[in-house]
Amino acid sequence: MTRVSPNRVSDVTRVVGSHRWNAGRIARIVVMVVIAAAFLLPIIGFIALAFGSQENIESGTSGFLNLGGMSWENIVYSWNQITGFGPGNGGLFQQWMINSAIVSVGGAALALVAAIPAGYAFARLRFRFRKAFLMATLLAMVMPNTVLVIPIFLEVNAINAVGQLWPVAVIMGFYPFGVYLSYIHFMTTMPHELVEAARIDGLSELRTFFEIALPISKQAIALVAFFSFVANWTNFFLPLALLTSSQQNKTISIGIQELIGASPLFNATVAAGLDVKLYLPQLALATVISMVPLLAMFIGAQRFLVRGQTIGAVKG
Amino acid sequence: MTNHLLEERARTATPSDTSGAGPAARRRRSSWLRRDETLGAWVLLAPYTVLFLVAAAIPIGYAFVISLQRAPSLVNPTSGFGGFESFATVVGDYRFWSTFINIFTLMAIWLPIMIVGIVALALLIHASPGRFGGAMRFVYYIPGALGGIANFVLWVYLIDPVNSPIAFLWQGLGASTYKEVITPGNMPFILTAMLFFQGIGTWIVVVNGGLNGISDEVLEAARIDGANAWQLAWHVKLPLIRPWVGYAALMNLAYGFQLFLEPYLLRQISSGSVVAEWAPTQLGYAFAFTNRNFPAAAALSIILLLITLGIGLIIVTRSGLFGDEARTRTTRAQRKARRTA
Repeated sequence: MTRVSPNRVSDVTRVVGSHRWNAGRIARIVVMVVIAAAFLLPIIGFIALAFGSQENIESGTSGFLNLGGMSWENIVYSWNQITGFGPGNGGLFQQWMINSAIVSVGGAALALVAAIPAGYAFARLRFRFRKAFLMATLLAMVMPNTVLVIPIFLEVNAINAVGQLWPVAVIMGFYPFGVYLSYIHFMTTMPHELVEAARIDGLSELRTFFEIALPISKQAIALVAFFSFVANWTNFFLPLALLTSSQQNKTISIGIQELIGASPLFNATVAAGLDVKLYLPQLALATVISMVPLLAMFIGAQRFLVRGQTIGAVKG
Repeated sequence: MTNHLLEERARTATPSDTSGAGPAARRRRSSWLRRDETLGAWVLLAPYTVLFLVAAAIPIGYAFVISLQRAPSLVNPTSGFGGFESFATVVGDYRFWSTFINIFTLMAIWLPIMIVGIVALALLIHASPGRFGGAMRFVYYIPGALGGIANFVLWVYLIDPVNSPIAFLWQGLGASTYKEVITPGNMPFILTAMLFFQGIGTWIVVVNGGLNGISDEVLEAARIDGANAWQLAWHVKLPLIRPWVGYAALMNLAYGFQLFLEPYLLRQISSGSVVAEWAPTQLGYAFAFTNRNFPAAAALSIILLLITLGIGLIIVTRSGLFGDEARTRTTRAQRKARRTA
């Protein structure tokens, strides 16, 4: 949204922030560091918890933020508990991770196929209802997506597809924020002259898109893929409404909910009937593992994110 | 300014353009081109249009149709047209108003804290030069990367009255079990903490984007006038980022009406000390999955949809952040001017 290049930003901050050490500056830095600690310490404690054991925690020997109770054996034990969950020999956790990968990748692929050409059309072509459709897209983008979940459930129920993975992936493919990202991308990087020149050269509209616009849209593709993958992976309400009825077809987000529900901490009756024991360290490990794909995506997309940050910033 | 000049130029140039012999042919050619362009546009839009219909338009339309049906009952298992009966059922439900009261209570506590937090941290980062500010922005962003359920499990650990690093807080409140921490009275505060922790990072980046858009000259002028860092932030930067702050407030407001995961899961770990229908979306979920009353679930969805649609309309049309139409107009005028030149 901003028109300022990164270099210019640092110029500005250099001009503004070039104070000497004084009370105001020290106070600012102290406040910021304290807040940063308040943000980081719980996360560090949580990750350490995933390496911990229930015995250490109960006996109070895991130390500050559980940092004293970490061991590889704990991880192995917790892993066996998590993967042992489920009928027979377990294995539901892995299945849920695979399901999440299927719907997240499928949804992101659909989002790309839909969003990149749509963003180009909105940005560079003239057609009737362009403004109205763009407006509807912006509205769909700023509206929280869970308000549509019940209507979507009714629709999927009407075609008897509740409990199957494919409707979830298709619904996730609708990603108006991706269209907006692509729209802004072509608005800012592809001059109208280029489209005109292609037309004068006799290229059809489709060839102009595929041969000129698409090759310069790497940045938009990376951003749309990243943001939609993350949104799909963390989506909770949609899989809850569509997949709860089928234990094998759950995604990891609602799978973790099932693990919480099977913990002796929260449901002694259910937990008593299980071979595995899911206390907080096990739940934390399951959660940390479920975040690994997001971390991998983040590292993979990082260089695009830094450049695209100002555009990406518009969506909450 | 240039925009006006170009349009002016385009307008004045047009008459001479249509007077010659060539333009008729050119017009014919350009209308053919326009048809080609429209066709191309819709081909490119086709996948998105299909998804828009499947994931938004059709479900909304279908939900509206369902909401006008009569709920099947034991006495009369057939459903049929019931007019606005379901809407009356929903609004008359004893839980309906309490879910909204819950949401408004949460908003009253969470929104001001959230907005003040976002603005304060964004201003602090903007006042911090170089690597330190960047590092802090990254740290503040990390909790936001923990999406949905991950953030929730993290909070299961934090509200654990025995082992949490802030257990002293819960013990100070006299709680020693989850059930005693998660009480109806504590719900707005726990949710505020959860939502703040998860949401603030992204919004700092948004508002920071707004701050970075403030021109160098403005800041320099204020400094030459003798403004200190505090005055600069309060009197210069804050008024200039109002659109972003308003955007953040409205988006978070809309977000509040769709809150589901947190109260739903808090209920699950509270051993029943909070109600299952704390938020409106949970009530919709209960209508659909517990009562199997689809017309009522659909009606509640339509009500929530209208509320968030209203907020969405204000965001898109009033925030001033989606004004890219202006740029299109410039380029169109430029093109027109060039063609007629």
